[in-house]
Amino acid sequence: MLSRTKITVDYTRCGDGVGVDPRECGKCLRACEPAVFLLHQTLGAAEPDPFDPKSWRVTPMWASLCTQCRKCADVCPQNAVELSTVGFWRTKKLAKAGSQAGAS
Amino acid sequence: MAVMCDYCMQHGAGGKWYLNAEHYSNEVAEKHDLRAFLLEQYTNFEQISVRPVGGISPVGMDHTFRMPIIGRVVKRMAERMLHSRKPPRNPFKAEGHMGQVVPLEDAEEILRHCAAEPLIEKNCMCRYMARGYKESCCINFGVMSEIVDKIPRFIPENEKYHLTRDEAIARFREHNRKGYIGTIWFGPFPYINNLCSCENPECAGIRPRVDFGIKSIYKAEYAIDHRPGACRACGACVRQCPFAAISMDKTLGRPVIDQDKCYGCGVCRHVCATDALFLVPRDDVAALAGKY
Repeated sequence: MLSRTKITVDYTRCGDGVGVDPRECGKCLRACEPAVFLLHQTLGAAEPDPFDPKSWRVTPMWASLCTQCRKCADVCPQNAVELSTVGFWRTKKLAKAGSQAGAS
Repeated sequence: MAVMCDYCMQHGAGGKWYLNAEHYSNEVAEKHDLRAFLLEQYTNFEQISVRPVGGISPVGMDHTFRMPIIGRVVKRMAERMLHSRKPPRNPFKAEGHMGQVVPLEDAEEILRHCAAEPLIEKNCMCRYMARGYKESCCINFGVMSEIVDKIPRFIPENEKYHLTRDEAIARFREHNRKGYIGTIWFGPFPYINNLCSCENPECAGIRPRVDFGIKSIYKAEYAIDHRPGACRACGACVRQCPFAAISMDKTLGRPVIDQDKCYGCGVCRHVCATDALFLVPRDDVAALAGKY
């Protein structure tokens, strides 16, 4: 197992109270067949307030089950989800099928 | 005698341990001082799955579980935490928090005779965290219901959630027919406080076992079997099975069962038009005896 899938969510575009609220959007959660993503409250606050939109995030919890279908990235209205394969030597970005971008 | 778990022998009067009403009683909850513990745990519920355990963050642990030797060690450690029978100390850890699959008949028995009142049906938080929508299908008992009553986000909107025993049975039956897996959860051990209707990729308790082999949930006391003569090979059970234990054999032209994969939830029976599927006690199948 020298290469594995890495999913990154850009928290400057989704969650933490900026961009869209993942509790209302939730498109990546529903698009993913193996349910890789997890909607959760962030740690840190001494008194966690579940109604504070700043404390909600989506985290790719089970990235090893990802089938690299890219549905999550395609469905995201904020383009916040990015997929890449982390190999032994290099990281390869998984671009949209049909587009030109490849290895970086 | 090795076929039965020693806990059932001691506490289930030689039968199934979860059919002993003692494990649902408020006395058990109070003996282990679980009222404050569970309130703390459920107030912070949506945080717990990302909270570091022993300084290690669970995010990205799934890659570690899949590593050859380290993975096995880490999984053993996780299993030890889940199987802990010591009094729980940290409400942010899933110590002694485990489940078992129960088929419809046993769940009805639990709801009718064992579960402590009041009964509440709360929103399933696994589905909420995995898919972002709320569906009320998790039945709570006794002390757990009193705690959930205080946390408004668990309570379904515009729906009756305080249930009588008959209503709870009717609701559970409805979920079971849809193909949701009936499960009891004892967290912390040995206080049984939940009867959930789970789905496979969403449930946070079933996933570690199915995908990574961590025994976070035990199989039911049963396994599925079938009468090949009665089968009309419609394939409905193949689609219904949440664990992919039934598959369509092209050569035989009818479904075949992999009993090793079967968790004994029995939901496949609800879609069989000819009643060809039935549950047998796990201990009666030589290859499965004692394997939970």
